[in-house]
Amino acid sequence: MLLVTNLHKTFKTRTGPVTAVDAVSFEARDGQITGLLGPNGAGKTTTLRMLYTLMSPENGSVKVDELDVAVDPTAARRRLGVLPDARGVYKRLTARENIAYFGRLHGLDEATIARRTTELAKALGMEDVLDRQTEGFSQGQRTKTAIARALVHDPRNVLLDEPTNGLDVMTTRGLREFLKHLRSEGRCVLLSSHIMQEVAALCDRIVIIARGRVVAQGTPDELRAQYAEASLEDAFVKAIGSDEGMTA
Amino acid sequence: MSTTFIVLKKELVDIFRDRRTTFLSIAVGPLLTPALLIGIMVLANSRGRDAETKPLDLPVAGAEYAPSLITWLKGNNVNVKPPPDDIDSAVRAQEEDVVLRISPEFPTAWRAGTPALVEIISDHSRREQIEVPVSRLEALLAGYDRQLGALRLVARGVAPSVMTPLAIARRDVSTPESRMGLILAFFPYLLILSGFVGGSSLATDATAGERERQSLEPLLANPVSRAAIMSGKIAAVCTFSLISQVVTLVAMKIGFAVTPSEAIGMTVDISWVVIVKLLLITSTLIVFGSSLITLLAATAKSVKEAGSYLVVLVMMPMIPTLALMVSPVKNQLWQFAVPFLAQNQMIMKVVRGESMSAVEWAVGLGTNAAVAAVTWVIASRLYQREQLAISA
Repeated sequence: MLLVTNLHKTFKTRTGPVTAVDAVSFEARDGQITGLLGPNGAGKTTTLRMLYTLMSPENGSVKVDELDVAVDPTAARRRLGVLPDARGVYKRLTARENIAYFGRLHGLDEATIARRTTELAKALGMEDVLDRQTEGFSQGQRTKTAIARALVHDPRNVLLDEPTNGLDVMTTRGLREFLKHLRSEGRCVLLSSHIMQEVAALCDRIVIIARGRVVAQGTPDELRAQYAEASLEDAFVKAIGSDEGMTA
Repeated sequence: MSTTFIVLKKELVDIFRDRRTTFLSIAVGPLLTPALLIGIMVLANSRGRDAETKPLDLPVAGAEYAPSLITWLKGNNVNVKPPPDDIDSAVRAQEEDVVLRISPEFPTAWRAGTPALVEIISDHSRREQIEVPVSRLEALLAGYDRQLGALRLVARGVAPSVMTPLAIARRDVSTPESRMGLILAFFPYLLILSGFVGGSSLATDATAGERERQSLEPLLANPVSRAAIMSGKIAAVCTFSLISQVVTLVAMKIGFAVTPSEAIGMTVDISWVVIVKLLLITSTLIVFGSSLITLLAATAKSVKEAGSYLVVLVMMPMIPTLALMVSPVKNQLWQFAVPFLAQNQMIMKVVRGESMSAVEWAVGLGTNAAVAAVTWVIASRLYQREQLAISA
């Protein structure tokens, strides 16, 4: 369960301050997939970065399972599994070693790491590449490795920044099934995307962000009703006031 | 396992899988150092020996005025040559190291029994190169001088020994000393440099490389302190650097042990005690250098940028060594508190077999350990800064 209240973040640039996130509030519930939908540069990545405590907000609060991340960021990170926008893996380590490294940093014992690695490799369909060095991995294999290492500690809350970026159709389908599997286990899944179809296919709740602000949120049905549009796509265009991100 | 140790282990496994980098840093570099040192010594020694035993090429002007002197020179391993047209400019142009000019008045003075003029012409701004030939010629002329003087005295019924109230014995220690000076100037610098930047490949890979590979952000999403992660990285760099330093010293020991002493003109025995002392002295520098490189590389946006910092860092240990080469200063306690200078002085003392007082050890190790610790702490806090934690 993630509760985001009134987040603000401004960056200093040469041409003056730029507001990246402006009063963003939303909620992501357990047993649901919540989608953060918005065009490029809307503030999705910055919002997620504040959620997993890489950045601290100027204003507002983030609660992970009732735990304020500003008060105890380490405890909050323990409850989060994160696939950031940057998802580089260590090329000279095998996929298994990449996963084990993060497992150890989470304080897991070797037996637990081995068990979780087997479980995740099976669920993600990456057993065949598990003991290969990740040098030369395909984009899909790299993403799977990054997801497996992010979830090695069995977190209740899963944050994924553009998880299907650069993946082919089959891998994307597999990944969607995996996310649905996470939902069925009662986890809270929050993902960001600039692709409307993806969010529509997967999410129980959608939070639409544009220019750093939440412009609409609700279930797909609620959003269609709110904007009096038959298709979610039209509702999205209306909500963000342009057709950015529609071509993807 | 603590976070620091987990990171340390991972970074070492990671870099050792990079065979080429490891081979260059742990094998080639450290093995090249003693090879370079011993090679230069062998070269210097054989050159010195050549200069003393090879026939001396000597252009002589006015050889016809002093045939007996010329015969004497030829009989003493001198190869007498005709003189160049313009003696002064030939010497200045380094065509000849030394030229002997016999004055046209030589025969007259000779017959009158007054000192006959011979000139040794050389360029004293080329001290290094002309030292041996000039002193050889001087010694030959002095020998001829003494011999002839003695014969004249005998001819007049005087014992030649009246001319030598002093029996001057000379023991020439200059040659081995100057060769020793060469390694003494070189040896601390090589050790200091290898200790200081020995782990640079790992430092840039683990920080700037981590950022460039986009793996920094996921790493920092783990529930561990950023300072502990950074400390693990610095510890890995220190370990790597230490391994390369141990290889350097052991290679040095073996290198000197297998090099015949006549090839370098002296016996150099690096004992295990000396190796341990040298490691102790450079250990503070290893930590200082590893922390500093990690700090700089972590602020760099790319591996390329980190590499350009390294060029500047390599210069740092040169400063005190070069300053000492140009103007040697006597040992003073404050020198033991200055990084690089301290190690330079301490390594010199250990290599020369001089004893160091407890105060010198304490100041030398203590202040440098403090500098290293402060750098480590500053570096470990670096990832606390938000803009450095972000990959892109």
